[in-house]
Amino acid sequence: MARTLGTILTAMLIWTAVETRCEQHSDPKPIAVITEMISNADAGTIIRVPAGVYEGNLVVRKPVVLDGSDGAVLDGLGRGTVIEVLADGVVIRHCTVRNSGLDVTGEPAAIRVIAADVVIESNNISESLFGIDLRESPNAIIRSNKIECIDLEPGRRGDGIRLWWSHGCLVEGNVVHNSRDMVFWYSEDLRIRGNTVMGSRYGLHFMYSHGSVLEQNDLLNNSVGVYLMYSNGITLRENRMSNNRGASGYGIGLKDCDDITITGNALLANRVGVYIDNSPSSVGSKGLFESNLIAFNEIGLLATPNTHDNVFTNNAFIENEEPAATHGRGRLVNNTFAREGVGNYWSDYAGFDLDGNGIGDVVYEPQSLFGAMLANEPNLRLFVHSPAQRAIEFTSRALPELRPQSTLVDPSPLASPPEIRLDMAAKGRQVGSMLMLAVSMLAIAAGVIVYTIVEPRLGAAPRGDRS
Amino acid sequence: MSSAQLQSHPIPIGMPTAPSFVGGIARFARREFRDALASKWFILYTMAFTVLAVGVSFLSLSGVGSHGFAGFGRTAAGLLNLIMLVVPLMALTAGAGSIAGERERGTLLYMLSQPVSRSQVLLGKYFGLAVALICSLCIGFGISAGVLAWRAGGAGVFDFLMLIGLTALLAIAMLSVGFLISVVSRRTSVATGVALFVWLTLVFVSDLGLMASSVIFKLHVQEIFGLASINPLQCFKMAVIVSMNASLDVLGPVGAYASQTLGSALPWVLVSTLIAWTIAPLGVAIFLFTRRGTV
Repeated sequence: MARTLGTILTAMLIWTAVETRCEQHSDPKPIAVITEMISNADAGTIIRVPAGVYEGNLVVRKPVVLDGSDGAVLDGLGRGTVIEVLADGVVIRHCTVRNSGLDVTGEPAAIRVIAADVVIESNNISESLFGIDLRESPNAIIRSNKIECIDLEPGRRGDGIRLWWSHGCLVEGNVVHNSRDMVFWYSEDLRIRGNTVMGSRYGLHFMYSHGSVLEQNDLLNNSVGVYLMYSNGITLRENRMSNNRGASGYGIGLKDCDDITITGNALLANRVGVYIDNSPSSVGSKGLFESNLIAFNEIGLLATPNTHDNVFTNNAFIENEEPAATHGRGRLVNNTFAREGVGNYWSDYAGFDLDGNGIGDVVYEPQSLFGAMLANEPNLRLFVHSPAQRAIEFTSRALPELRPQSTLVDPSPLASPPEIRLDMAAKGRQVGSMLMLAVSMLAIAAGVIVYTIVEPRLGAAPRGDRS
Repeated sequence: MSSAQLQSHPIPIGMPTAPSFVGGIARFARREFRDALASKWFILYTMAFTVLAVGVSFLSLSGVGSHGFAGFGRTAAGLLNLIMLVVPLMALTAGAGSIAGERERGTLLYMLSQPVSRSQVLLGKYFGLAVALICSLCIGFGISAGVLAWRAGGAGVFDFLMLIGLTALLAIAMLSVGFLISVVSRRTSVATGVALFVWLTLVFVSDLGLMASSVIFKLHVQEIFGLASINPLQCFKMAVIVSMNASLDVLGPVGAYASQTLGSALPWVLVSTLIAWTIAPLGVAIFLFTRRGTV
């Protein structure tokens, strides 16, 4: 009851806010103006919607191009879905769409599509529960939209982009903030490319969606970067998952997925870089992890003990708090950590490469006593980054009988990290501020020292303080 | 006590009138700072800290600098370990040597004959050493900030600033403990020994003991957090991690518990624990120093 009341109040508040704003801008028109334009136009015409705010819920039943580049704003007034596309081949571009309903049961969206070959391009979506929702809409193109969902608690939010039974779609260059998931259900042969998802629950979430390619997506500050579930034959290429640290906090999570290829991705500073739960699940299928950069995560690779038939080659595991761990008891021995004599780079590898062929001469077997203790007693994680942790690791190195069993064996570890190139805009190097800090720190020290040495000569002597 | 030795310690002698409370403290602080600059321990600690900090900065950036991802975060993890080892050692031994050293050399009696109160002498010495320690840290951090700017760009300046601030707080807290040790010890050797023992306890023994007891007695997360946050070093570590990640989830269930229950109050709780570690031992030291008749 209180929740309904809350929702109504919020809706009323938003409505009042919108009304006030519209009064300032004057002339909000009813959405029927656009409906009339569409019904007067022939199929395939480009309708340039004049600038202005259009209030209400629009249903498009004719294949037209709706172009809002003159500054059209479609406002749902907090009720239901703002634009509903029911005709094949509709194009909606450069529109600002806002204020869908909030009630989760009706799943109101800014743009809902139930038609084939639709193009949704360069729209600006805000204050909506769901962003773009495609149902049984094959071969759609969703490109360069900016979607900002209402910032509710993650479980109550809507999905930024959702595809349901929509095969062969292209989702490209969208920017999504504060959504629940960007989710793909029962949709095959998708191309998901160059999207940015921030502050959401799952960046990209696949359920029963086979044969898709995900490339150059940027997933940061979400609860989980990419979670693939029950989806086979997916390729993840050159994506970046950084700082995904929610309750599960995986860069990439795999659950019961066959024939996954994961190459050239960067998994940085997540709670867990890669999490594998029983993937691949079918007999005869394989998972391939090649040339990924897995760095600065709490755990680089975490896998359930039943995980098998994954191949890891030419990956760089750099400075993860734990390079690899088993989720539960057991070892990851049913997976292969080298292919054709090429293993992975492990930054904690203590071996050597005497013959200089780039492959370490001793196998890599991580044996961290503290890591083994953490597996049994997760509470002890409080003591990471402390000298006590170092003391324990030192003890286990000094006393071999304390050494735990290694979680994995890499027979041919790389002596130096492989060059992993990401075609993404590198962050600007703002050297200036850090340099300034360096100079100011040194200046403070020097200043105080010089002052104390010089000061008595200046001030004290005339007062006769010194004998 | 030869006159030559007196000359080497320019004590504000021959004061025409008793200075104000703050003025008296300031005179002793300046003298203490000048003495520190001339002493071997200051130079040695500064050099050691600088070399180690720069080394850690270099090592943590090697191998990943080319990817452009290396920022301050990784360096911080390395620096954190180093700071927790070296800074308490510096501060505790410096503090332990202060009063006990003067007492052993006989200069303490001379200082107390000045027209100043005992608490002024103690506070003056304390502030002088605190400034010396912070200067020493500034030099070390300044040079490693230069290394970071050169190798990794300017990412994380604010984090680095927070680290410096918290390290300074840790240093003065440990200096307070050192002063308390110094006030109650008759000889420098005893004071230094006790300081080393305290250092060992704070750095290793308490953590290892808490680890063992949390495993043996199956302590709850809130008990582990409560016990761990008594230790100023753990407080310092948690405060640094909170300042960089806004949450303690890095530290597993215990950290998540602390973040959830204390929320935005968490950094303040940690910082005030450190401040309590600064004020309480110093207060006790002043109390004992002013009460004790012996010199």
